[in-house]
Amino acid sequence: MSCSTCAHFDPHPAAVEAAFPGLSSLSSAYAAVKAADGLCSRHERYVAASSDCTMYSSASTCTRQS
Amino acid sequence: MQIVEPSSPHAAQGVRPSPIGVRRAALLRNEDWLSSFLGLALILVAASVFAAGGSIKWLAVAPQKWSHASDVLQQLRLNGVRYAALFAVWALLLGAAAAALGLGAVKFWRAFAPVFLVTAAIYFLGLWDQAAHYNLEPPLVALALGLLFSNSFGVPRWLDPGLRVELYIKVGIVLLGASLPLTLLAWAGPVAILQAAIVSLITFGVIYAVATRLGLDRRLAATLGTGGAVCGVSGAIAIGGAVGAKKQDISVAISLVVVWAIVMIFVLPLAARALGLSTGVAGAWIGTSEFADAAGLAAAQTYGGYAGNVAGISGHPDAAVTAFTLMKVIGRDMWIGVWAFVLSLIAATRWERTGIESRSGAGEIWKRFPKFVVGFLLASLLVTWFASGYAYGEYKTSVLPGLVAPLQALRTWAFTFAFLSIGLTTRVRELVAVGARPFLAFTAGAAVNVLLGLFLSTRVFGAFWSGLGQ
Repeated sequence: MSCSTCAHFDPHPAAVEAAFPGLSSLSSAYAAVKAADGLCSRHERYVAASSDCTMYSSASTCTRQS
Repeated sequence: MQIVEPSSPHAAQGVRPSPIGVRRAALLRNEDWLSSFLGLALILVAASVFAAGGSIKWLAVAPQKWSHASDVLQQLRLNGVRYAALFAVWALLLGAAAAALGLGAVKFWRAFAPVFLVTAAIYFLGLWDQAAHYNLEPPLVALALGLLFSNSFGVPRWLDPGLRVELYIKVGIVLLGASLPLTLLAWAGPVAILQAAIVSLITFGVIYAVATRLGLDRRLAATLGTGGAVCGVSGAIAIGGAVGAKKQDISVAISLVVVWAIVMIFVLPLAARALGLSTGVAGAWIGTSEFADAAGLAAAQTYGGYAGNVAGISGHPDAAVTAFTLMKVIGRDMWIGVWAFVLSLIAATRWERTGIESRSGAGEIWKRFPKFVVGFLLASLLVTWFASGYAYGEYKTSVLPGLVAPLQALRTWAFTFAFLSIGLTTRVRELVAVGARPFLAFTAGAAVNVLLGLFLSTRVFGAFWSGLGQ
């Protein structure tokens, strides 16, 4: 399963701009170059949505559990 | 695979939207497409009004030269309604874009009102007949004022929705397309691509080599390299995401790009002025050596303002912005998807593992393609086609003042919103500490970039860029 549906993955532009001070000064998290990349809270990395890893945790499972 | 954001209502309800719905939502939440729609809509309306025998000149109001404060009051008395109408149109269009991005139209309007007022004041100041004498070029004044305010007093958070640098700059670039004939893009584009490719590859190579020699992580080296060689902060986040860089490393790259880009806004026009470069050559140099579109346009527009106002600066005022745009947008920005694709492949196959596997394919090239370039090219195509129905003399006496000039005035407004926003969003205290090694690697690349850019713009392609716009 790819990062795009992982509970640890946050691609929201507002979250990305908040995580990277200075980003909105000369660019934007709403821009096409960002694609669907997002923040991985598990690895503390910024990753492409199509990536995957062994620590995947389904976002929909988390939503149902909560 | 289509992406559903975990925070979206669809994801929360476990509902999968249709592919068409997802594509439409993606279009509306993408700043590049939105800025293209806005810019092209303005051009279409302007062309339609012109074809019907009118002009949007009344709406595209701009300050005129003045000597005394009473002249300004007189202009405001005469044109107050026009400025109010212009504000309403910008607020409506940009507010719609802000709403589509999820920023909230009302929040945007509340923040945009002071942005518009300060921009108007800066625009007026730039038209003072002593402005050039005191170096009060609007881009530099907007930037300096914003920087001073945000770093001295702080900017209230309610202003943030109105400080959308990229939205403003991209709308301005699409409008810029309306004043560049497609034939010019076809003639100068290949030279811009060649010059930019030489500088981008060498600059990236220098930053990457110095960074890895200094023991920095390869992903940080690549993020720094594309930030310095391709498209600044946008390059840093595109490559950072493509190779899966650490969050902290991307923050380091962003901080370095922002600081250097702002230094260059002030240094490059002054250096070009000291060297007596023509506007076209200076624009090409700035396009090769600045890191970000908004920062480079501030420098290029400043330099264009020197033509006719500063002794020894030759060339058409618009040639600096034109050469910059060709070099930066066509020569560098367009290729970010290719850089991302190639580096993600190298990262996945050659670099140390991070526990995250990259699955990027060739589709990455289009996904990350800066779509506002499509709007820019369509704008050029549209106005070139429209103008082809007029003889050259009629174009100069009718189309230029009735259609192109008002669009240029709107472009100047959009750019000045952006320059002010750069200053107001750059909060030095919020930038992360970068450390000596990333600083050295990036600075080595910046130095090579500036010197090589100067050599290519003046020695190798100097005659070409001097002739631009003549």
